[in-house]
Amino acid sequence: MATADGASYAGVDDLDGEEAAEAVERLLFRLADDELVVAERYTEWQVRAPTLESDISLANVAQDELGHARLWYQVLERFGHDETDLIWERDPEDFRHGTLVEQPFADGDWADAVVRGYLYDVAEDERLHALEDSTFAPIRDRVGKVLDEEAYHLEYAESWLERLAGSEDGHERLQDALDRLYPYALTLFEPGDGTTDARIVEMGVRERSLGALRESWHDRVDDYLGSLGLRVPPLEPSERADGHVSPTDLPDHVGREGDHTDHWPALFAEMTGTYEDLGRDHATRIMDDDE
Amino acid sequence: MIWEVFRQEAAGDYHAHCGNVHAPDREMALLFAEIQHGRRKPTNSLWVVPQDEVGEVDTDEAVFGGTTDKSYRFAQTYSVEPAAEEVEASEEEQTEAERKRGDL
Repeated sequence: MATADGASYAGVDDLDGEEAAEAVERLLFRLADDELVVAERYTEWQVRAPTLESDISLANVAQDELGHARLWYQVLERFGHDETDLIWERDPEDFRHGTLVEQPFADGDWADAVVRGYLYDVAEDERLHALEDSTFAPIRDRVGKVLDEEAYHLEYAESWLERLAGSEDGHERLQDALDRLYPYALTLFEPGDGTTDARIVEMGVRERSLGALRESWHDRVDDYLGSLGLRVPPLEPSERADGHVSPTDLPDHVGREGDHTDHWPALFAEMTGTYEDLGRDHATRIMDDDE
Repeated sequence: MIWEVFRQEAAGDYHAHCGNVHAPDREMALLFAEIQHGRRKPTNSLWVVPQDEVGEVDTDEAVFGGTTDKSYRFAQTYSVEPAAEEVEASEEEQTEAERKRGDL
């Protein structure tokens, strides 16, 4: 695949200049960190989901997302990072995930897990498809593997939504979760800085801008959740395509530039707790790199 | 509601019972079965069947195979030296069946 001027990048060394490399690196951090943190939160449902089966299924989704994070971190290693710096010894403020994925679950609020999973999985589906023909080969080569596992995630989330929406109590819980999570979901499409996203699209690393992805995501989510009788906030004309979401519609913390809610340092401490307790200074590896 | 799960390892194999899942309907049962019974062992296909729809007859109600000697049903009985090609071909299967019946 190539851009209009025929550019295609087989690896990090083929990227033209520091700015190009930095843009791709930033994109990868967003992908990897979203996946790692969403997985870390999902695992909190282990032994707490409504049934044994839903528990195992969500744990499996978490394992899938961890696997995807691993794929993206491995590409980041080619930029000179190693696993220890990428996760275990990294400053929590340097993580670039959107704040949707770091939000805690209210005790026993399964509707939150279902709605969050759905909002996230549709966003992921949109962005992965926009990466399928990436000019950056290490990304392009890995997208298919990720998409193959994502189909289950969406089907699983939709199955739960349809069933919960069928009762008055379930419907109300879904709407509450949606109202609470929607502004956080918008953070998934926030660019973080004013130049990277345009460069990413110009280089053909991702086919569509974050604004265009947001528009597709919103309309898809609105259609589907609307069909279940749920209200999704509208996307104003000025927020479509390459427009911007008004800061008043976003949560106080977006995450993309490291501005996280207080829930993140707490979650990070928990995630790295064992590593710290054992006095480790590097990550132990038990698996080989993916191809 | 309980759904019995049957796993087929490779195309052409029989679906063998491997456990069950709790699920409100067929669609969810398949989603759960996929993870619970298909993620670790080689799997080509899964069936889910509502437990209530499974019919059963067991040794309390039936005498499987009857009570009198019907060894003429088994090829082994006709085994002479040298064994007929057909007998030889099915010998292992026959021996296994006899072993399971407790005849050996």
